Amino acid sequence: MENMTFGVMLAILGGVLAAAMGGAGSAIGVGRVGRAAAGVVTEDPSKFGKVLILQILPGTQGLYGFLVAFLLMNNIGLMGNLKALSTSQGLMYFAACLPMAIGGFVSAIHQGNAAVAGVSIVAKRPEESGKAIIFAAMVETYAVIALLISILAMMNITNQIK
Amino acid sequence: MAKVKMKFMEVVAPVEESKEVLDFLQMKGVIELKEMEETEGISSLESSSVATVMAKYKDTAATALDILDKYAPEKAGLLSKLNNPPELTKKEYDERYDDANEILGVCYDIVSEEKTVSENKATVAKCRASMDAVEPWLSLDVPMQYKGTRTTDAYIGYLPGDYTADSLAIALAPYLEGEDEFECEIVSRKEDRTCVFILCLKECSEKLFAALRAIGFSYPSDPTKHAPRVRYERMQKLAEKCEKESEESIRRIKELVSERDDIKFVYDVFTLKSDKYSELSKVYAGDSFICFSGYIPAGKTEALIGELDEKFTVAVTVRDPDEDDDVPVLLKNKPIVAAVEPITEMYALPGKDDIDPNPVMAFFYYLLFGIMLSDAGYGLLMVIGCGLAKFKYKVKGRLKKTVDMYFYCGIATVFWGALFGSWFGDAIPRIADQFFGIANIGQVWNEHLGFTLFRENIALWFEPVNNPTKLLMFSFLFGIIHLFFGVGASFVKMWKNNNKTGAIFDCLPLYLLIIGIAPMGANIIKEGTFSPAVTSVTKWLALAGAVMIILTAGRSSKNIIGKLGLGLYGMYNVASGWLGDILSYSRLLALGLCTGVIATVVNTIGTIPEQKVPKLIMFIFVFIFGHVVNMAINLIGTYVHTNRLQYVEFFAKFYEGGGRSFTPFKANTKYYNITEE
Repeated sequence: MENMTFGVMLAILGGVLAAAMGGAGSAIGVGRVGRAAAGVVTEDPSKFGKVLILQILPGTQGLYGFLVAFLLMNNIGLMGNLKALSTSQGLMYFAACLPMAIGGFVSAIHQGNAAVAGVSIVAKRPEESGKAIIFAAMVETYAVIALLISILAMMNITNQIK
Repeated sequence: MAKVKMKFMEVVAPVEESKEVLDFLQMKGVIELKEMEETEGISSLESSSVATVMAKYKDTAATALDILDKYAPEKAGLLSKLNNPPELTKKEYDERYDDANEILGVCYDIVSEEKTVSENKATVAKCRASMDAVEPWLSLDVPMQYKGTRTTDAYIGYLPGDYTADSLAIALAPYLEGEDEFECEIVSRKEDRTCVFILCLKECSEKLFAALRAIGFSYPSDPTKHAPRVRYERMQKLAEKCEKESEESIRRIKELVSERDDIKFVYDVFTLKSDKYSELSKVYAGDSFICFSGYIPAGKTEALIGELDEKFTVAVTVRDPDEDDDVPVLLKNKPIVAAVEPITEMYALPGKDDIDPNPVMAFFYYLLFGIMLSDAGYGLLMVIGCGLAKFKYKVKGRLKKTVDMYFYCGIATVFWGALFGSWFGDAIPRIADQFFGIANIGQVWNEHLGFTLFRENIALWFEPVNNPTKLLMFSFLFGIIHLFFGVGASFVKMWKNNNKTGAIFDCLPLYLLIIGIAPMGANIIKEGTFSPAVTSVTKWLALAGAVMIILTAGRSSKNIIGKLGLGLYGMYNVASGWLGDILSYSRLLALGLCTGVIATVVNTIGTIPEQKVPKLIMFIFVFIFGHVVNMAINLIGTYVHTNRLQYVEFFAKFYEGGGRSFTPFKANTKYYNITEE
């Protein structure tokens, strides 16, 4: 128990933020697309597959947030031998999680909005549904970049501390 | 192997043979008819009214099939959709064709029976509603319209709320004087509504009515002429009769299920006909001849002319399309390349000046897809699934391309997964460790084999989780190679279109600049990747490239200041654009890590229990569920991001698009494939 430092708390807070905000953003995004998609399916159930893909798209941020949280727990040894992090070390991990938390939250919502617009493409011109997917996927780039920075920062922090 | 060369064909045929010639062309399906300008002596055979009638017949057949499916669904497995439609030779087609009108009659029968069913259902619903309305009144022996006798008035209706005879008397008391007599019978009561029959002397009728109104009395909307029971029974009988009738109709429809195959045939027949009659607007007739023209793939011209000459008395001319014609695009590639054609089509078909991007794109599509999914286990599942569809069910057409694409993507995924040592995440070393007590299975195998096959755990190359920077660098490297091919395609395109200075000045400096800067960039990410000896050479390359861009990018401008300004602007565009483009390939690492790490999480959760038996049970469940979900999510993500890299980064370098798909006049059948012999 002596390893439960303030630094560890900060680090875990970062991981929790990444998972929670990524998940919250995705929930909002997926929910919005789901509502629009349900409208299309009431008119034409055969479009279910196409709108479902659009609905899943803003869901990845939640997954990325989960990934960052998991990697964090792994990196600070929460699931094995917990490292006694100093406050500044904990703060570093906290900072490393922020890109995913913020980037994930915002991009998931906006990706959801883009996908909602995409749903209306599917409704009116189902043959162009591929383009609808691309529009929504454009937004995801920034979640991917955020994820990348979070992961790289975290891994390099761990290497430096070693 | 690329865009198919198109020819323009003009045909003149005698009017007597017009039907046969058009039928023949529809079966062949190689020519796309083109509208001509009407000139004197010839006019379009436009017959939209006939086409509409044919389309109506086709719709009737489709409706009949839907109805049959509703009452007697066709037994079909999930995989039956992969099966190809049965084949029908032209001869068999002609034989069955004679019955088409008769079968169409059957279709109309089915539709009218269905109409009877729905009408009867509506009547039944109406009867039920009416029965519900009189149900509370069933114990009333007089008609609901009963107004009373010579000396009495009757009030029959509803009161809001629940009343008994006593409570009603109490409720009415404040409005009445003591001597006002009335007789009240509660016909039925519910929580929120009471049905009452009230009889009173004519003298106090008015006062009573006012009192009743005051507590909310209302007449029923549709009072019966006879005792309510009479209507109730009448409605019941009618409903039963209608139900029987619709059952009878359904039975008759079910009897017609045996005609399903014939109806499918008829659907195809009228599809052909309605297509043909709509195409007639592009066929023109003179006094004794018809003429039409259209685009045809160059390779098919000779065979078609040969057959036309043999069967009919026609005059055919073939020439190259005019420069400004809107020539349709048809792609022809080897299966491994054709598999990614739908991806390109989703963006846009190649325009007039474009080269076919598919051959270059296919290679990179599989490569990038493999790195992003990067789990050999998932790749293996894709290969097995698509292999079954491909070799056992022999899917055809558009679906075949998609199946092919995932098949090759699967192979690439197995390749990269093996290099990165990810087979359903870390399932293999974990199982070896947790269930068999072998700590480092890769090491054990290496000792077995006598050489280092597995360089890190069971990775043939390295594990991205342990060395993300290395994979990041390789991601950028693959990105640069991918983009260089894009620039190369741009070079070829400009060269072909006789813009040789453009080809040289817009493409070559880019190569110099990027090759020169890349090693320095790599050293920023990780120090010492390239030795100073290398960078001291490459920085001159970069400088040369930059100078060339600044000097030549503004060559369209006339004065020297404009040239320089545009040159600097061009340099800025190149720098910012390429930086973003190359960094975009970092998603290769991010998505690859995502698959691998989540797969590992799944395995970790599965092996939480301590004892072996519960551990095994838990592991099996978590393994199946977790990996199915992870694979599904990552497949979608990988597909989307591979497309993005092609569309946004790669296509932007050279591809314009805007081509129109080649849509020949053909037998567009749904249920049968009509073959010539």
